[in-house]
Amino acid sequence: MSENPIKSSFQIQYEMLLNAIPSSVLMVDRKLQILSVNENFLIKSQRSKDTTVGRHLADVFPLVILQSTCIEESIRNVFNSSIAVKGQKMTYRAPGVPLRIYYYSILPIQSDQIILIMEDVTEQFRLSEEVRRVERHLASIVESASDIVLSTDIDGRVLTWNSAAEKLSGLKTQDVYGRYFFDFCDANQKQMVEQIFQRMKTSNAAHTTEFNLLTPSNSGTILISWVFSPMKDDYSKTVGTVVVGRDLAERLKLELQLRQSQKLTALGVMAGGIAHEIRNPLAICSSAAQFLQEDRIPDEFQKECAKKIQTNIQKASAIIENLLRFARSSLDTEMIEVDLISVLKETIDLVTNQAKVQKIKIHLSLQKSSVVVSGVPGLLQQVFMNIFLNAINAMPTGGVLSITVNSVEDRVIVRIIDTGVGIPAGELDKIFDPFHTSSPVGQGTGLGLSICYSIIRQHLGSIQAESRLGQGAAIIVTLPLL
Amino acid sequence: MGKNILIVDDEPDMCWVVSQIIQSQGLNVVTAYTGEDACFKLSKGDFSVVFLDAKLPDMDGLDVARRIHAIVKERPLVVLVSGYHYRDDPIVRNAQEEGLICCFLAKPFSNEELIGILISLSC
Ligand SMILES: Nc1ncnc2c1ncn2[C@@H]1O[C@H](COP(=O)(O)OP(=O)(O)OP(=O)(O)O)[C@@H](O)[C@H]1O
Ligand SMILES: [Mg+2]
Repeated sequence: MSENPIKSSFQIQYEMLLNAIPSSVLMVDRKLQILSVNENFLIKSQRSKDTTVGRHLADVFPLVILQSTCIEESIRNVFNSSIAVKGQKMTYRAPGVPLRIYYYSILPIQSDQIILIMEDVTEQFRLSEEVRRVERHLASIVESASDIVLSTDIDGRVLTWNSAAEKLSGLKTQDVYGRYFFDFCDANQKQMVEQIFQRMKTSNAAHTTEFNLLTPSNSGTILISWVFSPMKDDYSKTVGTVVVGRDLAERLKLELQLRQSQKLTALGVMAGGIAHEIRNPLAICSSAAQFLQEDRIPDEFQKECAKKIQTNIQKASAIIENLLRFARSSLDTEMIEVDLISVLKETIDLVTNQAKVQKIKIHLSLQKSSVVVSGVPGLLQQVFMNIFLNAINAMPTGGVLSITVNSVEDRVIVRIIDTGVGIPAGELDKIFDPFHTSSPVGQGTGLGLSICYSIIRQHLGSIQAESRLGQGAAIIVTLPLL
Repeated sequence: MGKNILIVDDEPDMCWVVSQIIQSQGLNVVTAYTGEDACFKLSKGDFSVVFLDAKLPDMDGLDVARRIHAIVKERPLVVLVSGYHYRDDPIVRNAQEEGLICCFLAKPFSNEELIGILISLSC
């Protein structure tokens, strides 16, 4: 008698526990009759206790489950061997019924009873399958991208490195894993890249830049355009950086070709002025040489002729020299120390002929005799050549082209001012667009200023235009001083 | 004809060679370095022939020709001397048809070519 209340309170707790767990629990005897079930089973199988307890397993479980899982067989084995079956997977497929997946265990508890525990994991299974599929999909996007995609920890140590990164750099993932990304950048850009990673720690915004990536296999570098983005966890805490890079070689090659072809157009524009300026010295040499062929010419006259021939050959040659330098200069792309004043003077020399032909006076006003910037002389010359030619085109009936150079703090400002037709207000912001031109078809390509823009940007400077229709225009080029 | 010959070119060496050739024929030479100066000198009307450079710092040779065509009564014969035009250049042909110029001398030229022109103009 005294045992009874304890037993029943144990029973109550036991049942509470059974009903609380999200798995189905059935107690079954040797004859495969169900002795008890918990609530979860009744809910899942949509049965009542009365129609379940005391019945045979075969009356309660659908035939398909029994057949496809051999569960009766398993239970008999457990009775015979007294060895528990744990964590078996059971997939329940039936026509017209969605696939269900269970985990089940069969535990022998007394010599004539077992507990069957079944857990429906269909949902978890489906989710993890989905996650895996998405993961595989994302991984294959990253792997098949032609852009470099890499991720780093918060300090910039490489964690992942896609196949485009391997291909472009020649470095395998195992070569870079765990190493600082900036160790694979050009030595003099390393510090700059290190600072970007510093900035990523606190920044929410992406950072776009261009720098060279080392390609140790051929001990060279390639220029890449990069986007750095901070990688955040669920709590918006920065946990690393994602870096995407695009090879600029192809774009650069096209840009070089474009620049070169535009330059040849500019040469075409100057052809008239150049012809005049070269044929003058040629004509002088030719006539002087003919004087020398005459008999009995005075010594004095002979000397004078020879001198004129020599100076005029030098004149013609200097024009050709300038032209060649201009035509070929796009082949060198190395940034060096450049005296901007000599670039300006050389370019002015080149357009002087054209200006003269159009009755344009050129004034160059300087603060200093030399202004040193870092740049590619040939490209800078192309910039000023384009701007000068535009100004000359804007003054078909003559005028004045003034060029002023001023150094302000760490920058040099070159203003190119003309007295030409000017630019209508609505077009000011369009003149740097490619193919924007007011020239008749076949005369201007509209590429001049867009090329100036890209070259000046490459030199970390800026270019702007100011003008009022009918009152001339000013193009202002700003470059960082060295 | 006995009158003077005017040479117009902004390049002094160019003026020098042309004067040498013309003077070798016993003719008198005056030079002008700008279009303005040329128009001024021509307006006096005492030149029989002008050797006119096609491109001058202040105006085109053909503009000078046009100006004198309009203002000078006793018009000189105009020889356009140019390194700017090509042979058979339509601009030159038109100027000739308009009567603005009578001859075209392309730079560089042979001294005989220039002398030939002087003879043909019966200087
Ligand atoms: N100094 C200026 N005065 C007036 N208009 C200008 C001046 N500079 C540029 N422009 C205007 O900007 C346009 C674009 O200039 P851009 O140099 O890009 O092309 P473009 O000169 O027409 O052709 P090209 O490719 O041969 O240089 C010109 O067509 C002209 O309308
Ligand atoms: Mg242009």
